[in-house]
Amino acid sequence: MKYETVIGLEVHVELLTESKFFCACPNHFAAEPNVNTCPGCLGFPGILPQLNKVAVQKALTAALALNCEIALFSYFDRKNYFYPDLSKGYQISQFHVPIGSNGYLDLEDDQGLLKRVRIGRVHMEEDAGKLVHSPAGDTSLVDYNRAGVPLIEVVTEPDLRSPGEAKRYLEKLKSILQYSSVSDCKMEEGSLRCDANISLRPVGSDTLGSKTELKNMNSFKAVEKSLEHEIKRQRAILNSGDEVVSQTLRWEENSQETIVMRGKLQAHDYRCFVDPELAPIQLTIEEVEEARQNLPEMAEARAARFVKDYKLPGYDAAVLTASRSLADYFESCLAIYDNPKAACNWIMGEFTARLNSAGIEVDRCPFTPHFMAELLKMIDDGLISGKLAKEVLDQSIASGKSPSQIVEKENLTQISDHGELEKIIRQMIAEHPDSVENYHGGKTKALGFLVGQVMKETKGKANPQLVNELLLKTLEG
Amino acid sequence: MNLKTISAGRIADKVNRGELKARDLAEIVLQNARELNNKLNIFCSIAGAEALEQASAVDQKIEAGICLPLAGVPLAVKDNFMYKALPTTLGSSQFKSFYPPYNAAAVDKLIAAGAVVVGKTNVDNMGIGSTTLDSPQGPTLNPGDLQKVAGSAGAAALAAGICSLALESDSGGALLQGASHCGVFGLLPSAGLVSRHGLAVHSGSFCRAGVSALFPEDLPVALKVISGYDPRDAVTAACREVNTRRDKTDDLSNLVVGYLETLSGSAADPRRNLVKDTLNRIAALGIRKAAVQLKHLPEALRAHQVIAAAEASSSLLRYDGIRYGQAIEAEDLELLYRKTRRATFNGEALNRSIFGTYFLSKDGYNRYYRQALKVWTLIREELKTVFEQCDLLLMPVVRTGPFLASGETAYSDLLENDLFTVPVSMAGNPALCLPAGDINGLPVGLQLIGKQFEDAFLLSAALKIAPAIISDLQGFNGGGN
Ligand SMILES: [Zn+2]
Repeated sequence: MKYETVIGLEVHVELLTESKFFCACPNHFAAEPNVNTCPGCLGFPGILPQLNKVAVQKALTAALALNCEIALFSYFDRKNYFYPDLSKGYQISQFHVPIGSNGYLDLEDDQGLLKRVRIGRVHMEEDAGKLVHSPAGDTSLVDYNRAGVPLIEVVTEPDLRSPGEAKRYLEKLKSILQYSSVSDCKMEEGSLRCDANISLRPVGSDTLGSKTELKNMNSFKAVEKSLEHEIKRQRAILNSGDEVVSQTLRWEENSQETIVMRGKLQAHDYRCFVDPELAPIQLTIEEVEEARQNLPEMAEARAARFVKDYKLPGYDAAVLTASRSLADYFESCLAIYDNPKAACNWIMGEFTARLNSAGIEVDRCPFTPHFMAELLKMIDDGLISGKLAKEVLDQSIASGKSPSQIVEKENLTQISDHGELEKIIRQMIAEHPDSVENYHGGKTKALGFLVGQVMKETKGKANPQLVNELLLKTLEG
Repeated sequence: MNLKTISAGRIADKVNRGELKARDLAEIVLQNARELNNKLNIFCSIAGAEALEQASAVDQKIEAGICLPLAGVPLAVKDNFMYKALPTTLGSSQFKSFYPPYNAAAVDKLIAAGAVVVGKTNVDNMGIGSTTLDSPQGPTLNPGDLQKVAGSAGAAALAAGICSLALESDSGGALLQGASHCGVFGLLPSAGLVSRHGLAVHSGSFCRAGVSALFPEDLPVALKVISGYDPRDAVTAACREVNTRRDKTDDLSNLVVGYLETLSGSAADPRRNLVKDTLNRIAALGIRKAAVQLKHLPEALRAHQVIAAAEASSSLLRYDGIRYGQAIEAEDLELLYRKTRRATFNGEALNRSIFGTYFLSKDGYNRYYRQALKVWTLIREELKTVFEQCDLLLMPVVRTGPFLASGETAYSDLLENDLFTVPVSMAGNPALCLPAGDINGLPVGLQLIGKQFEDAFLLSAALKIAPAIISDLQGFNGGGN
């Protein structure tokens, strides 16, 4: 039988704020456990929640960027459950009335056609802490650094039809949330987390099959892989005449397979009710409209501007604007360097390749846009060759030193001094009389050989164009 | 010095003028507290060196020319308010040596105003209750009758003459009922007027901080000290507009006092007569009376029980003894939770945890919780209508006298006794308990209720009315001899 895949995604995104949702603790990644905590986020008695209005503003921005209807009046609920990483025994969340609902995202389906993925709700909630298990497995410790960090949860309707679509949805979502400064969406640091619901149904059927929930995917690639794996697994079950068991599965990155995490999916009774310690959130139409006006330029608009203003090919503009940080990098570089095409080539090519292989994020890379501009200028001025520039780039990324510092220290500047080069050329001609003879005999290959000898003698620092020029002049003169 | 014959205001006057050293007073008060505590079981902990240091600091400020509104005034603090210097037990063995790393907002403000914390007063388990029968150290006895409970240990500290002011909490009647049982003045300020930062709130909807005193004229001063906007308690945002409301009454003949025309049948007769007598006495001052109705009183009581239980079942989840307090060792985490919570929860805290969990469950939510929310709206609306007909509402505080200290009281009677105090809890109005007479040799209070945020008006009117009401109390000896 032919089956249709039905996928819905639940994405948790940490909001980019200075402080946590309901206390003044800093909201940033900390290496030491429990340093970003206070009696409030540790659930001490007598500490009431203090709402961080910036978090609400970011959630509003996200909901608007995802084309949601905005609830002018919403409130926080308590979701009660007992778990050591939950300091208060409940999570402050929006259950009854989310700040945003009925939104959508447009993306290309597998046939390249535009499709609309409905977003059921965007709601705010606080994050829980994290359990750290000892290697021996005998003790567990709790790190509350993350407890109380503001999140939004973005929930799609079951509108996605393939793992590829799911991946494109995530990429688009990430781009929009990064562009609107809602979140940095770093999956490896946990600031974007994705759970997937997936079921199969016979093509043409409009009832949903029984679904499984996939967790623990640490990259977009893993989301795609785990969904592909789960489709195969469910299809095999259905083809054999069995029924898919509704359960929660955990993606194992090492073995590239899913294992059962929790049995039968059952609706846990979280006993949600309005948190009596927090005032309702009341937004005015003016506030919402102002936030709508302030929505930043998104990827597509920025790519169009890159084509128009910088005369970049459409493909290049799309690659550069795929993430806001790369596009920002490009434009910061252009603020001090005026050849967009050269900058684009280097950033898209050599620079991105090095980031990928080292696994560094653009905005964490020590090679700043300023360094890039410096490097490009040195190439343009003929101070270093393109080949040498790649070496300088490597060293700069590794050491954090500026390209000019490296070139100076390593004495890498190209030899463009006529007198010096002519001296070496005369020496090479004297050492290789047979090559000179060959050249005069019409063998142009001999010229290449002589250039090579000069380059070798100068340890590659000679300006190759100049060597060529001077060598010809000497041989012909 | 007998604190029962000198108001907090006069103590502060004497200390401010240098006629009395706060430190000398503190020494007398502490000794008095230790002696009487043996008999009455008022305190969880009595401050020693801390109180003397505080008093010395007050004296130094006075010498430096600073004037403090509560200079040297002995203060009792209920043991569900966080206070760094002493353990905050919350009436549970889980917290017997819990020193909170912060002070409650009201504690800080009172200390800054010159008050000296004498000790932390006894409290029901997890701060829930109005009898102290659910305290691990047993109930606080009524200074007027040692067979009975005081209801509030803070009120007992006042009635016994140990302190001049008591910082109290209330979520359904503890403050007012305790004041009634002990014959002192208890003020439950409007919801949102006093910051609850540092009060172990088990019901965000109903928990409030308030203050009781031996002398009514001390209440406006204490309220001024502890009230005001505090960003650490979101509901206090509402009190920033308070200054636009009326704050005093000049002419008593313009005042209309409402009373419940049909007191619910179960109110014991002497209490009904007390209301009648009191109304006649204040009518003699030229005040007009107006009969009003609160038809939803019985339903409000049930609704309050449901909502308070629901909120407590959630708010108390954090007490697992892991991050603070003490847990009971066990083989695994699940067992640790079970053992710890079973051993350190009791009485009403335990009941509310169980019932509240049900009220919020899929089954209980629609059947009870949702209905309770509707009744909540009704009683609020009804009180609003009442205050279209009168300026103040005069009502009983309790249905029966204080319960037996032996604990031989039916659970239903304990619950029913909140009948007259829950409307105010639910609607957010300020209420003042005034000693209005005595029944069977024990004091009984009545409450005057005002409109929300008209606390100053309520106090101003009450101060004018009080002399006419409390005449019967002359000769009442709160010492329990
Ligand atoms: Zn914190």
